[in-house]
Amino acid sequence: MTEAADEQLIDELGLRHERRWSVYDHPNLIRTASVIVFLILWEIYGRRTDPILFTYPTAIAVAFWKLLISGELAHQLLVSLSALASGFGASLVLGVILGLAMGRSRLAEAALQPHINALYATPQVALTPLLMMWLGLGFAVKVAVVFLFAFFPILINTASGAKNVSASMVEVGRAYLAPPRQILFKIVFPAALPFIMAGVRIAIGRGLVGMIVAELFTAITGLGAMLSLYGNIFETAKMFVVIIILALLGIGLIHASQALERKLATWKETERAVI
Amino acid sequence: MLFRVTQATTLREFMALNALEQQALAEINLAREQPFRLTDHLSYVRAVSVVLVLSLWEIFGRRVNPLFLSYPSAIGRAFVQLLGSGEFERQALGSLQVFAIGLSAALAVGIAFGLIMGRYRLAEYVLDPYVYALDATPRVALIPLLLLWFGLGTSSKIAIVFLSGLFPVLMNTFSGVRSVSANLVDIGRAYGAGEGKIFTKIMLPAALPFVMAGIRLAVGRALIGIITAEMFTAVTGMGALLIRYSSALATDKFFVPVIFLALLGVILSSGVEKLQKRLAPWKETERAL
Repeated sequence: MTEAADEQLIDELGLRHERRWSVYDHPNLIRTASVIVFLILWEIYGRRTDPILFTYPTAIAVAFWKLLISGELAHQLLVSLSALASGFGASLVLGVILGLAMGRSRLAEAALQPHINALYATPQVALTPLLMMWLGLGFAVKVAVVFLFAFFPILINTASGAKNVSASMVEVGRAYLAPPRQILFKIVFPAALPFIMAGVRIAIGRGLVGMIVAELFTAITGLGAMLSLYGNIFETAKMFVVIIILALLGIGLIHASQALERKLATWKETERAVI
Repeated sequence: MLFRVTQATTLREFMALNALEQQALAEINLAREQPFRLTDHLSYVRAVSVVLVLSLWEIFGRRVNPLFLSYPSAIGRAFVQLLGSGEFERQALGSLQVFAIGLSAALAVGIAFGLIMGRYRLAEYVLDPYVYALDATPRVALIPLLLLWFGLGTSSKIAIVFLSGLFPVLMNTFSGVRSVSANLVDIGRAYGAGEGKIFTKIMLPAALPFVMAGIRLAVGRALIGIITAEMFTAVTGMGALLIRYSSALATDKFFVPVIFLALLGVILSSGVEKLQKRLAPWKETERAL
């Protein structure tokens, strides 16, 4: 059959109709519509209610602008982020070191495991008041709380990563007379890196929660303190600004750690495919 | 090592080695005692480590100001004292009640929304911007707002527990339903199952392992939620006790709710794990396939 005949046949059978437009092919359209409808309803409903209890999108935008201009937002954000970074950095260093030790030495594991398990089982928020009692209400307590929240995921993941390093890789290293230091840094650490990064991803989220909890309780500086302050003086719109900033911070940090994970631990996917 | 030693003795006993062979055996020293190695006695190491830390804590703790640090025997005394007064049980019961109500609401709503969002694309696209946004928001940040709306009483605590537990269940149910093979649903349809039957007999059982994993996460988060909420309102419950004892600098009493909460967390998570094995035992098989 010629092509012309094909075309004719298709026309005759009525197969040439356009594919019908379906809303399901445009999920982002539905999402956008959903968000717009929600914001409009919020605006209308929010304007009617008591501004002490509730607020509306335009008021939040105005509050955001005010906080931005006055520099308060940037200042408190910086304070919060520096506490987060110090606490998280400390938990990363200590978690990786102790985790490698526990993963490589059965003696270290046996000695530390009971204490680690007990502390890990304790909800870390419950220890916040104790830390406040010991360290006061300043910067140190925030760092300590962030550390406590972020430490265990990193430690436990590093330990299980270092434990799961294939014995044959370590043996090859030994056979080539690699000193223990080289075995640790050239074999064990890279092999455990995907685990460590997975721990880092969990720890970042928990560290952020720790930062907010510490600041809410101490209520002196930082985003959590702003939240607490504006809650107490019924500035709901400003409170929403802080909540939105914290949500964006959460999303941003998780994305950043995922990107870092992809960059630093590229061999994870291959490894998984092999197994 | 042990294996070779026993082999050597059995050889000697049953094969009647000659003197030369026995001398050779003695020279290469196969039958010598195994040197003592710590790694062969890890449970002792564990026990010694625990005892050592506890006794160091006891010795050190007795020397420092009792306002800042307590010590194990004082904590034990405080435990007995608090249990005797009945105060502790009352507060614990209050906390558990709020926890149970908030968590059940989170499970019901989370599973329902997860099923709907997983089954209907329109629902998914309409709701997922909010679900993802709220899931990424640290829930503690919402506590001041919820206190503003619901006051310092039970309802705000329930709301916080609900929000803490909701998203793990919702997200897991959602991804569980989405992973249900379309073939299963098609077969159900072919045999004339209605939408209700498809939900209860196909979707839910197939998604159950995911749902249970979500519940396990939710239990942990809800526990943190209730503690944080009670610490904030500081009126009743375990969290309030934590705040009260730490403000009163009663460090020995402070550790009682801490230990209670740690035990509660362990018991709850192992309970859910058992439930998971019972309700969704096919998970392992699925994974193996």
